[in-house]
Amino acid sequence: MSFLQKHLEDPVRFARIRRGFYLGLIGIAVAEIVTLGFGGHGHFWFEGIPAWGSLYGLVSCIAIILVSKLIGKLWLMRREDYYEP
Amino acid sequence: MNLEWVHPGLLLILGAWVLPLLKGRVKRTAMLVLPGAAMVVCWLMQPGTYGVVSFFGQELVFGRVDRLSLVFSYVFTIMAFLGMLYALHVEDDAQHVAALTYAGSALGVTFAGDFLSLYVFWELMAISSVLLVWLRRERTAVAAGFRYLLTHVFGGLVLLAGIAIYWSQTGTLAFGDLGALSGGVAWALILVAFLLNAAVPPLNAWLADAYPEATVTGAVFMTAFTTKSAVYVLIRGFAGTELLMWLGAVMAIYGVVYAVLENDARRLLAYHIISQVGYMVCGVGIGTALALNGATAHAFAHILYKALLFMGAGAVLHTTGLRKLSDMGGLYRTMPLTLGLYMIGAFAISAVPLFSGFVSKSMVVSAAGEVHSASIFLMLSLASAGTFLHTGLKLPYYMFFGRNPQPKDAVHGREPPRNMLAAMALAAAACILIGVFPGLLYRFLPNPVSYAPYNLTHITSTLGMLGFTALGFFLLLKHLDPERKLSLDTDWFFRRGATGFLALVQGPLKRFESDFVGEIYEFVIRRPVLSVARLLRGIDSIIVDGILVRAGSSIKTLSGMLRTLASGHAQHYGLIMAAGILVLLALALLAS
Repeated sequence: MSFLQKHLEDPVRFARIRRGFYLGLIGIAVAEIVTLGFGGHGHFWFEGIPAWGSLYGLVSCIAIILVSKLIGKLWLMRREDYYEP
Repeated sequence: MNLEWVHPGLLLILGAWVLPLLKGRVKRTAMLVLPGAAMVVCWLMQPGTYGVVSFFGQELVFGRVDRLSLVFSYVFTIMAFLGMLYALHVEDDAQHVAALTYAGSALGVTFAGDFLSLYVFWELMAISSVLLVWLRRERTAVAAGFRYLLTHVFGGLVLLAGIAIYWSQTGTLAFGDLGALSGGVAWALILVAFLLNAAVPPLNAWLADAYPEATVTGAVFMTAFTTKSAVYVLIRGFAGTELLMWLGAVMAIYGVVYAVLENDARRLLAYHIISQVGYMVCGVGIGTALALNGATAHAFAHILYKALLFMGAGAVLHTTGLRKLSDMGGLYRTMPLTLGLYMIGAFAISAVPLFSGFVSKSMVVSAAGEVHSASIFLMLSLASAGTFLHTGLKLPYYMFFGRNPQPKDAVHGREPPRNMLAAMALAAAACILIGVFPGLLYRFLPNPVSYAPYNLTHITSTLGMLGFTALGFFLLLKHLDPERKLSLDTDWFFRRGATGFLALVQGPLKRFESDFVGEIYEFVIRRPVLSVARLLRGIDSIIVDGILVRAGSSIKTLSGMLRTLASGHAQHYGLIMAAGILVLLALALLAS
């Protein structure tokens, strides 16, 4: 059994990975707030918002999925044989 | 050693024809030696102007060697080497010849100092690359290849028209910055041709249409050369054109939106080429030293990681025959190496710290910051999140893991041949090397680099952005399940729009022609012309002919009378003479 199988197919180990992921996210957001300004000032005011990267990442991700799916459903998506003669 | 200058592109184009003559191990060695030799030639080249040929009074420059063309030639030859290594097991000489010709023509474009040699290599690139699509030898591939070729032939003609006007206006064929002609017809035509090859919407459809239809190994070559040579010529000719900044930013998001909807693994990656080239086009548009460095660096890094990603998706296609995400899943059990190498490419394209995208993409984004364009900055950052979302999360999730409730239904794959893994490993190593030691790449960039990608704020905000994108992905996972659908893109206009146009031509337009235009023609042109002709014929037959006929018949009557006199008998003439003499005698006697 490979390394990946061992960790992904065992519910206990998988739960541990998931917990690690959430803790990691909290850690990153905190680190982002702490290190604000360490790389010199950003070019824009919004870069000064605490945890700007994390916030914008989450908002971007959700916006991309929802808006794209909406455009797809309403307009762009067609049957797979749409172009078949 | 005082060798004449060797054109690395011609080395590949001509050298490719040796391959069909060779067999077995010798051939496989030659497949690697050719791009390897081209790499060495580029590496040893010193800046300068070489290969100048006089042609009908024009100077053709085949070797304009400077920092910009050199850095592109490095990555093109590295890519040719990796691509040939990946294709080493393929027993199809035509593919190898086409691939090397394609890579050689891209080098030709890179070193071209004039428009004419640029045009020749530009067209050769289109012709050789379409073979990589056709050689998959499937119905869909042949059809997509024709659409690809027609699009590029159109682009080539636009370029040729632009070059002709440029020549007539400036009297020279030299290819350099076109800013002086900004807004003119030549400028616009050449720009449109370049943008078509860079796949800038709405001229983008050929890319996502044809790349997923190419052969497994051919597609890897295609990801590198056409769009990136277009980025190169855009940097050369159109740096600082503000329009490009906006087109590039829109393009970065455009690819992301389509990637959400896409089910075909390689087509999803193709849409991310469009998205990534968007950053480069945007960098060209910003036009500052940092932005042009960023566009160049990103092209360099992009070629390597995108090839790696296409190699990974190609390995899955090669071993399982599957191309749709909705059919895949569970491959992590049988293809862990492929998964690991793919993920290195995915981290590189997603700009994870310590991977190549982090040190190249951020240059363009920072350049947008330096010119204080908040909307460009936000659009590019949004597209970054989308890149990780699709290439780093969605595609590997559905390809290698998937929901896959019953492991026994899992798709059975196996690791691809060793040469494919080796090519992927080398590309992956390059992605990490550039990411860890950005100076290795920065020293070859066209402008001096003072940019430092690694600072705490940049690292933490990037990690935050990527981490929370991952959170959003897992929260909305059920909305992302790939659907068995296709998405309309601008190829609709020539795939369905053209059908509509033909129906219009054959239906209403034809009726309009015969019923309306035809009737007008009948009454306005045909009938008046016929009556005038009839009148003229009357004049001709009655008056002109009449005169001639009368003249003829009177001459005939006269000659009939004369003929009775000229009987040909001597005694008649003698009688007439005697009668004449008698008449003369009578006159003389009577008068006296």
